[in-house]
Amino acid sequence: MKKLVAVLMSLTLIFGGVLAGCSKNKDKDDNAKNPSKGDDSKIVVGFIPMTLNNEFFITMVNGAKEKAEELGIELKVQAGDQHASAADQLTIVENMITSGVDAICIVPSSSEGLAAALKKCKEANVPVINIDTKLEDSVLKEAGVEVPFYGTNNYEGAKAIGEYVAKNFAKGTKTAVLTGIAGQQNAADRKNGFIKGAGDSIKIVAEQSANWEVDQGYAATQNILTANPDIELVYCGNDGMAIGALRAVKEAKKEKQVKVIGFDGVTEALNLVENGEMFATCAQFPAEMGKLGVENAVKLVKGEKAEKNIDTGAKLITKDNAKEHKEYLSKYAG
Amino acid sequence: MNSIKEKLKKFDVKSLTLYIGAVLILIIFTVICSINGKDFLTTSNIQNIISQSAVIAVIGIGASLVIITGGIDLSVGSVVGFVGIFAGVLVKAGVPLFATLLICLAVGALVGAINGALVSYGKVPAFIVTLGTMQIVRGLTKVLTDGRPIAGFPESLAKITQTEILGIPVVILYVFALYALVMFTLKKTKFGRRIYAIGGNPNAAKLSGIKVQKIETLTYVIAGIFSVIGGIILLSRLSYADPNAGSSYELDAIAATVIGGIAMSGGKGKIGNTLVGALILGMLKCGLQILNVAVYYQTIITGLVIIVAVYLDKAKERKAE
Repeated sequence: MKKLVAVLMSLTLIFGGVLAGCSKNKDKDDNAKNPSKGDDSKIVVGFIPMTLNNEFFITMVNGAKEKAEELGIELKVQAGDQHASAADQLTIVENMITSGVDAICIVPSSSEGLAAALKKCKEANVPVINIDTKLEDSVLKEAGVEVPFYGTNNYEGAKAIGEYVAKNFAKGTKTAVLTGIAGQQNAADRKNGFIKGAGDSIKIVAEQSANWEVDQGYAATQNILTANPDIELVYCGNDGMAIGALRAVKEAKKEKQVKVIGFDGVTEALNLVENGEMFATCAQFPAEMGKLGVENAVKLVKGEKAEKNIDTGAKLITKDNAKEHKEYLSKYAG
Repeated sequence: MNSIKEKLKKFDVKSLTLYIGAVLILIIFTVICSINGKDFLTTSNIQNIISQSAVIAVIGIGASLVIITGGIDLSVGSVVGFVGIFAGVLVKAGVPLFATLLICLAVGALVGAINGALVSYGKVPAFIVTLGTMQIVRGLTKVLTDGRPIAGFPESLAKITQTEILGIPVVILYVFALYALVMFTLKKTKFGRRIYAIGGNPNAAKLSGIKVQKIETLTYVIAGIFSVIGGIILLSRLSYADPNAGSSYELDAIAATVIGGIAMSGGKGKIGNTLVGALILGMLKCGLQILNVAVYYQTIITGLVIIVAVYLDKAKERKAE
């Protein structure tokens, strides 16, 4: 029984300690930013990236944090612990509403899955800003809300890559395409934009969904190379899959024959483009998305008008400008 | 006198630690939240926590039953995902909602029957059978729509869980009603007692005339049915079917089961405590999110709680040794 009490006590301590630690840190932050004022008057913005497991979203969150600090507001960041799921995001939204946030910025786990969460926000009178992955209009209609969207115009970005390919490759280049999660608008836009831009310079001989993941991109490319040993180009919907694809190409000792192109502009991909291993990527500006989200969320809370839609831009990254973009990105790392 | 004392002591250690733990977690969150100027212990938040835990609590029933027989069912999460997509396909094809739900229940029972038959008649270890069906069912889910999600369900679907009776969301009533039903069955019926007998000692159960294989198979069928109910609750909550929905729910259901003190070796434990286990997991998630604890720490804390809960539960066994 004594032991039992001891264990119970230690559980309480661990638990209390961790929580108290977190809340203490927060108090400290609050005090630093806002020495004399209580918490009540401070605007709180909830920020929900798709996950916190990759650099893209971490950069986005760091941009949002920078803006929050500049405006002197409190930012709460929560993400699902595993891969993106609509159920997790609904739970997070509910709990954020309970904790009293004034507005929510969200990167939806899918373009169609958040109607229930949006309804809850509407009931609680919490304005929502949509970042990165655009919500379907049908979902917005179903929930009866209008939501501003800030993100990359993926179609245009992918088209720019396609046009670059058209300039640099011969007609009918045998191409494999790795796409993201089926059903996400981003995945479709990045494929279709590329195909449109590249026109007849490419001939697609294989297409696989690798769900945005490095390991799946690697495996899919291995299989594609087995089936089509003569391909010359692999276009991937994000850099993760491209990094996986590049590894498979290298293992097959075909790096001279097969060029790999990615999308997103994460550091590792920029390194690979800089040293010539990856052919190109398309950089997005996640930090800008985070900043704009927070800035306009605050406007909405204050009853001001927010920008309705903003294209945060996409930039083609080749060997020439990879280093420059890396320097920009390093401001938001870690 | 002594025997009463002994009894009291036993009672204390064995069945109260879980409840003390649950209340303790509730108190800790309430206190820390109020220090930070947030509300935790409010009616609406408690309702939120139970609604958020409902899916795991319900599929936890099936998981617990199977674990009590000494088996395990890893396919429950995949069934949850399958139900959403399958129901979506049927509804879009014009099948009435009620019929759709019945068909889904039948399919869940079928998956359970396949699991159960392979485990009990085929003698393939439960872990392996259900590891296989977990993958097969997930794959079938993706085949149905080429991996695409389905949105745009009728409003009547959302109503299944989102109606309120006397101010209480009806989903909460479902959870309690289902638990009441299963607790009654386990305690008061032959079937219930036989499940424990099989898990405790299958050979003895067989010798005493219990049709072990039949009962075992039936347990997996029930697990399949409860997974479907969990899947329907999730679908109704989201009005959106995601082919990846329910991934790793089998692990959450097993976590709720073991936090509730049901032994993985079978034959022991109270099914009602699985609900407490699910609610503890739900409270952790909700409380940590309200306090804005970073997601990485949330998983660490949840892991610690699972281990500590089982450690405490084993206190009596350690003492006996």
